[in-house]
Amino acid sequence: MTLQLSGICKRFGDVAAVTDADLEIRKGQVLALLGENGAGKSTLMKLLYGIHQPDSGVIEVDGQPLKISSPRVAMHCGIGMVFQQSSLIPALTVRENLALALDQPPWWVGRRARALRTLDEHVHRLAPGVAAEATVASLSIGQLQLIELVKVRMRNARCVILDEPSAVLTPTEAQRLWSLIRELAADGVAVVLITHKLADVRACADAVAVMRAGRVVAQIQVAEADDNSIIGWMVGHAPPAVDAPQYREATLPVRLWIKGMSAGAARNIDLQVSGGEIVGVAGISGGGQTALAEAIAGARPIDDGEIILDGELLRAPRRAAQPSPQLGYIPAEPLRNAVAPTLPLAVNLALKDLRGLPFIVDRAALALRAQPLLERFAVRPADPSAAAGTLSGGNLQKLVAARELSQQPAAVVACYPTMGLDITATAQVYETLFGLARAGAAVLWISEDLDDLLRYAHRIAVMAEGRVVRVVDARLSTAFDLGRWMTGQTQEETGAAATRQHEVHT
Amino acid sequence: MSPAAVAAPGPFVHTLRALLLFGAMASGFFLLIGHHPGAIFIEIANASAGSGYAIGETLLRATPILLCALATLVPARLGLISVGAEGQLYLGAICGTGVMLAWTGPQGLLLPSVLLGGMVGGSMWAMVPALLRTAAGVNETISTLMLNYVAALAVTWLVYGPWKNPQSQGWPATVEFPGAARLANLADSRAHAGLLLALGLAALLYFLLDRTRWGLELDVLRSNPRLEHVTGRRIAPQVLLTMGIGGMLAGLAGIAEASAVQGRLQSDLSQGAGLSGFLVAWLAGNRVGRTVWMSLLIGGLLASGDGLQMNARVPSSVTLVVQGLLFVAVLGAGARWLPDRRKPRD
Repeated sequence: MTLQLSGICKRFGDVAAVTDADLEIRKGQVLALLGENGAGKSTLMKLLYGIHQPDSGVIEVDGQPLKISSPRVAMHCGIGMVFQQSSLIPALTVRENLALALDQPPWWVGRRARALRTLDEHVHRLAPGVAAEATVASLSIGQLQLIELVKVRMRNARCVILDEPSAVLTPTEAQRLWSLIRELAADGVAVVLITHKLADVRACADAVAVMRAGRVVAQIQVAEADDNSIIGWMVGHAPPAVDAPQYREATLPVRLWIKGMSAGAARNIDLQVSGGEIVGVAGISGGGQTALAEAIAGARPIDDGEIILDGELLRAPRRAAQPSPQLGYIPAEPLRNAVAPTLPLAVNLALKDLRGLPFIVDRAALALRAQPLLERFAVRPADPSAAAGTLSGGNLQKLVAARELSQQPAAVVACYPTMGLDITATAQVYETLFGLARAGAAVLWISEDLDDLLRYAHRIAVMAEGRVVRVVDARLSTAFDLGRWMTGQTQEETGAAATRQHEVHT
Repeated sequence: MSPAAVAAPGPFVHTLRALLLFGAMASGFFLLIGHHPGAIFIEIANASAGSGYAIGETLLRATPILLCALATLVPARLGLISVGAEGQLYLGAICGTGVMLAWTGPQGLLLPSVLLGGMVGGSMWAMVPALLRTAAGVNETISTLMLNYVAALAVTWLVYGPWKNPQSQGWPATVEFPGAARLANLADSRAHAGLLLALGLAALLYFLLDRTRWGLELDVLRSNPRLEHVTGRRIAPQVLLTMGIGGMLAGLAGIAEASAVQGRLQSDLSQGAGLSGFLVAWLAGNRVGRTVWMSLLIGGLLASGDGLQMNARVPSSVTLVVQGLLFVAVLGAGARWLPDRRKPRD
């Protein structure tokens, strides 16, 4: 199936989401659709999938103009879309979820129903590690996406749209996904991969289309494009530079000291972060990195050990965790973990000092205090009375940064602070984070982006199965090494000596 | 500007929509039972606000409903759905009556002690689901609902058994409250000083919930309970506090009913005030001001039952149906069939 979009326009109220977009999606090819957040990539694809209707323009399928009035029509035409947010029902099994998505679901979803046997085959072929009887709640994010892909494939989609599938995947999962995408293309399926990662383009795309501010600014074959020109098309100017932190030979005093700490999935962690130092933490999801961050922040009680900040005891077992102005914490999933979605930005910015407010709260004063912070961290809209839940992901991240980083904390713990952000927003978050390190703060930075960790961190702690298995100098490591240690492949490949060292270390 | 607990979309549109819907449904119902809707509406208005007596009756019915609505509203501001006002009302009545029965002290302190007993009783009853919630994560809606039955049956047992008035010739009730244990009546109506207490408490709660740091902390924890560690405010103590305050208010309603209205403890004391209060609070979006007005409205409607029966020759239970229709109308008018919630942009 070959699709041709010509002159597509779509407005939402005053906002032109897509303007005069042309795009060609070819059979058996993988098209990477790149662009910053809000560039219109998702909107354009939702027009193709029938979720929105274009105001003008033509969609042609194999040369025939086609009006796609709903996702049902799109599916009928053989167009399938895998969304970032999983639409699977957590309480049901994989098989039941797939059965629900069939055109005519069987009325009886018994364990041995014949109609379901073909579903199992699909699962087995596309997601070999997943049992059809497993409940969806027990799957990892990577597996969820594979099942979403199965859902699209089992309806014989000839065009598959993937909306930022790699944003939340570990390196191994991403590689699995890339090879699956290549297989789809080899089967003659037209694949659109919405992304803002250049790694995806390099790994599996044939062609690349770049959108900026609602327009398709370039569409060329991958072989003809170099990274810098792609970034240039995406952001419309030279890529924003983030100053890589300077290496310092002199050792500064330790500010954040994690001493033999265990909490949740994190076991027996020893880590020291000096002032001015950026320590990156790498690991596959479920490796205990989040538990480590939460324990430091006081969001999770610690079972053993202690955490010391600037020589003072910050956390210990059975000790009530209090927020500290000395510690900035950017949790994963800020909407879920860091803001009150129904309350105004002004209140959200004051959360850390809530207990210090006067008994009779002057909301006008809160708004007045919030305004300069919103301006400084470029939160849009910069309206103190807007509800936090209405902000986009990037702005939400900036809002949390404004609250946690504006008071010059002694230490910062940042958990996936750029997940889902585009290049510009990522650069802004990095600039703030590393700026604090330059000013002398200790920064502990958990990230899934190994390249960024290697580029910007001084040292990298690698976690596997809840333990810190390595702490290495970022200058002397490669993404390959990190990936190997993350998945716990140390022992087999480096022999007994390394095993001993490993055990001593942990 | 304050963040809405469970915000209604645009108060004026909402009210207008609700009134139109209610008018249509109630008219349909009156036609169905063979009466002219206009005549009955006029009769309801007359019987609830047409005379000094009628106004007194309205205020009398509104008092426990308002207190029970406030008792629902305070925990709701932390995100708890308590349906326990009914049971707390009964326990308030039991404990207050117990104080009256056991009293040996000076007469001047009897009334305050009885009221205090009622409030403490309601609070204690609310502590059961609150502690279950904080200690074991038991759903407060279920536990408060179940405890309502326990409380109502406890009253029945007391008035048929140990506390039965021996002179009452089989009538299941306790001895009468002495004059010194009764709340004063307002003017020459049956409405009593409990109304003033309720209004005063409503004003105090409005200030505490909408103007102070405590109210803001409840808003924050309701909006996202995971913010415990960001704010350093634990939820558990707030669960105990808000449930305790709620129980106190409902308990006050109970002892006021027993001492000032019935003059004795008897079963069926609440006349559904706990449930009406729950509905009033949630339909008023858990805002104090709206709760006060809505309680008066419902009080008037329920008080008009006797007048309807006498003058319009329809059964007084018609008012219960009309009350139900009013709740449905308010709910229906506030329904989110229109997508009015802005989604985050992608």
